[in-house]
Amino acid sequence: MTTEREMVDTVTITVDGVEHQVPAGELLIKAAQDKGTYIPRFCWHERMAPVGMCRMCLVEIETPRGPALVPACTTPVNDGMVVDTKGATVAKAQEAVLEYLLINHPLDCPVCDKGGECPLQDQAMSHGPGESRFVEFKRTFEKPISISELVLLDRERCILCARCTRFSEEVSGDPLIEFIDRGNHVQVNTFPDEPFRSYFSGNTVQICPVGALTAKPYRFRARPWDLEKVESSSLFDTAHPRIEIHTSHDVVLRFTGVDNDATNHGWLSDKARFGFQYISSDDRVLVPLVRQDGEHVEAEWNEALQHAADRLGMIKDESGGEALAVLGGAQGTNEDAYALSRFARQVLGTNNVDARMDDALASHFLAATVDRARINDLDTADTIVLWGPDLKEEHPTLYLRARRAAQDLGVELVVVHPRANGLDDRAGHKITYRPGGGFALLEAFGRGDHPEFDAAVNGKKVVALVGMTDLADGPKLPEAVAAYLRSKAASCKILPLNSRGNTYGALDMGLAPDLLPGRVALDSESAGRLAGHWGQIPARPGRDTRGILEAVVAGEIRGLVLVGADPVRDVPDSALVAEAFEAAEFVVSIDTFVHDSNRSADVILPAATLSEKDGTVTNVEGRVQRVNQIRRPPGQTRTDWAILEDLSALIGSPMGLTSAETITKEIAEVAPVYAGVSWDLLEWDHRDGVVLPIEGPAPLTHIPVMLEGHGAPQAEFTLHAARVMYDDGVRLRHSPALRKLAPGAIACINPADAPKLGAREGARVRLVTRQGEGEFDVVLDEGTPSGVVYVPLNQRGGVSLGTDPVVRVTVVT
Amino acid sequence: MGIVKDLLKGLAVTGRTMIGTITGRELVTRPYPHVKREKPQRFHGRHVLNRYPDGMEKCIGCELCAGACPAECIYVRGKENDIDNPVSPGERFGYVYEINMLRCIFCGLCVEACPTEAITMTHLFEMSTTNREDGIYTKDELLMSPDGKVPHMFPDDPLADLGELDTADGWVRATAPGGRAAYQGVRMWAGTPGVGDWSPEPSQEERDRRSGDG
Repeated sequence: MTTEREMVDTVTITVDGVEHQVPAGELLIKAAQDKGTYIPRFCWHERMAPVGMCRMCLVEIETPRGPALVPACTTPVNDGMVVDTKGATVAKAQEAVLEYLLINHPLDCPVCDKGGECPLQDQAMSHGPGESRFVEFKRTFEKPISISELVLLDRERCILCARCTRFSEEVSGDPLIEFIDRGNHVQVNTFPDEPFRSYFSGNTVQICPVGALTAKPYRFRARPWDLEKVESSSLFDTAHPRIEIHTSHDVVLRFTGVDNDATNHGWLSDKARFGFQYISSDDRVLVPLVRQDGEHVEAEWNEALQHAADRLGMIKDESGGEALAVLGGAQGTNEDAYALSRFARQVLGTNNVDARMDDALASHFLAATVDRARINDLDTADTIVLWGPDLKEEHPTLYLRARRAAQDLGVELVVVHPRANGLDDRAGHKITYRPGGGFALLEAFGRGDHPEFDAAVNGKKVVALVGMTDLADGPKLPEAVAAYLRSKAASCKILPLNSRGNTYGALDMGLAPDLLPGRVALDSESAGRLAGHWGQIPARPGRDTRGILEAVVAGEIRGLVLVGADPVRDVPDSALVAEAFEAAEFVVSIDTFVHDSNRSADVILPAATLSEKDGTVTNVEGRVQRVNQIRRPPGQTRTDWAILEDLSALIGSPMGLTSAETITKEIAEVAPVYAGVSWDLLEWDHRDGVVLPIEGPAPLTHIPVMLEGHGAPQAEFTLHAARVMYDDGVRLRHSPALRKLAPGAIACINPADAPKLGAREGARVRLVTRQGEGEFDVVLDEGTPSGVVYVPLNQRGGVSLGTDPVVRVTVVT
Repeated sequence: MGIVKDLLKGLAVTGRTMIGTITGRELVTRPYPHVKREKPQRFHGRHVLNRYPDGMEKCIGCELCAGACPAECIYVRGKENDIDNPVSPGERFGYVYEINMLRCIFCGLCVEACPTEAITMTHLFEMSTTNREDGIYTKDELLMSPDGKVPHMFPDDPLADLGELDTADGWVRATAPGGRAAYQGVRMWAGTPGVGDWSPEPSQEERDRRSGDG
């Protein structure tokens, strides 16, 4: 480390009479801050380019022509620079700047949501003149105007620092908020008839140095001095951005982003920021429910547990463990997932477990890809290849990081996607193909039909973000893509993408039919390692989600345990799921809400959720981070592992789990790749988490192979069904602020196709595929190529159309 | 001789005091609660939430009182005003306002912190209750009615001095304007709790003239 640090060129500067060694070329404001001298600022933000708008950071430096006032945020350090940040001249200049900023700033502090944590308030106290000399009218605007469903703008309070406009333009890439007018009438505003509908709008609220931009979900809910805070990780994004959970009187009121070099750089998507509302929803299941005569009735914990244990035990005794299956576990902590994995194997005696909902990549590919990339590798690659879901919709943190790499760090970006993609404007090459034609396109790459793709990839340092662009190509294509890129690039690192909170953690805990905890395959060796804790476990690999559902229909599986899973909505083949749930003999659901999948479950056990439990989670790059508890689990809800522990005891094979922390210790003992992980490590030495394995090679390594796929479908219209940020998922459904943002059951078609079909904007069309049919509202969309019908998945009023890309479109009205 | 003289001298003091007490001339105790001592002007008694003369509530739910309270006995929650039917001037009003009088130490920091003079103190100090719940005063008890009267907790108590609630502690800071343009120049309430007696709000023209700009 020391040598590395010495290799950076340093210069010597003198700040307030003290000499410091600082990196050459760094901005003075940053260099001074790192050495412990705070220079006041409003417009400068560490993660954005400087503009020098507010002039608050004026400091005095020695120049050949005598001392001069310069803004510290636009002045790079020079060797021998002598800086004065506190002298009389500087103080006077800063006071004057503040006095001018306050001329038009209203005295709203008592009713302003920023009051108490406001940089303008704080710096007016620390660096201001203390008194205003102005008695004139202030500039007035209409008080808060709604610029989107989530954000309010109060232009009176704005000090024109351009943080929000720069964020929208430079960081998130949706420049929807801008300065308008001139002179004294300059104001920040959105464009007429175009709301600030950015997926990242909440960040502007967080970085606004005054209360000009405020968040509707937090409006007047509390003042900063009410809040209790704890750092945690968001499970709304597979990169697990660091968040701070703020509660008041045991109610979660907001999430804020925490700056973190490894993942989110302080930014959050609006889903990760405002998705907290479900936690305090009135619809939470707070007491155990047992089904009697077709109705759920409230039950005591011991009754409900006993009932579930009796029935599961009975099925196990009668038909063996293979007649039981476990679905879910991807929305909780690693500890919960471990408990579930152990519960399935040890207590139920089955390997029929799966955290994926039949819409994900192969378990070995997701968990154990040999050359898995880190998120930070995006910054140093030659080329980023994205052949997967629209990052902006499904992986917002990766979207921001990839955008930054392509835009600011000179990394070439290649996007392969069937329709318009959030990163198109930064992509050096964009290759569009028909849904279902992925393998055909890959063959074309192999033939050299796309020389610009070859030029970007061949012999380069490539980071590949691969995942399922939609359901049509199936889970094998990303693996084939990864294999192809490995064969062409000089070095290739791969991030296999999968949505759903803590999938990677769940797979690491063995929540797949062919995996055991610690990224090891289900074999006798790994079973032997677990024997000390788990005892004998079944040797034969189990069934995956699809296999489980088919076996339920066939009557081979009689009992289902659902943990935070909603297969009815998530599994693409909805007909199969419906049939399976009809046929299932006994269903236990551990969940926070009643939803389509557990509406007729025999027992529903109420579970605690994020902010109500401690634990660890593992993100897309294999980074383990902590999640922390700040509020009591409401009602009678309990953590998943505690529920499973009680069930295991009642079934007669107690697991002996006593606390989340001891489970982490047990994981570190039995799961090879988790060796060395402990709460102490994550809380003290590595607050940003650690990427696994900490030392040594991973036990199981998966090398993607080229797999054969089907050719491009021949049809007039092909279906591109993909996840979007806002859908009708269980948690979003119970978050009122985000619920209304979902696009609904729409079908996007190219305007050129409209006359052919006789459809217009808003018309209703019937889409029929081999696996499903339903009616959708037409949206004419330039981003969808001709011959493609784009349908956002899991929307209210929509139905799943399955995985087959051939679709027939008929206009209903 | 000297002893008898001294003795008589002492007894004279005793006798004088005895007669003075019987006649009431030299009384040091009072027959409380039938007779109450006059309290100093700035006595810190029970709180009251004030209204503007137009009937609007002064409290904007900013929670500065709760933040300032050293006993942490104040619980406030703000809410957004309905634009057509506002409770207070501006965007926000005090939706929940509770003071736990059992914890309150009557220091008056809440009054000092309040930016709108919504909370002030009166001279009423008799607040004993027979259960703890009644010690928590909510907006129902604290808020004055639109006619400027403050609800008394025990209006039928023959021993209660109803006038105590009508006496402000006199601590008023001249800050916030009256709230509505129609009330510009209208004298603020006098003699009612917390409002004190101050000059009417000057118009902007008046202020400009005074500062020499007009």
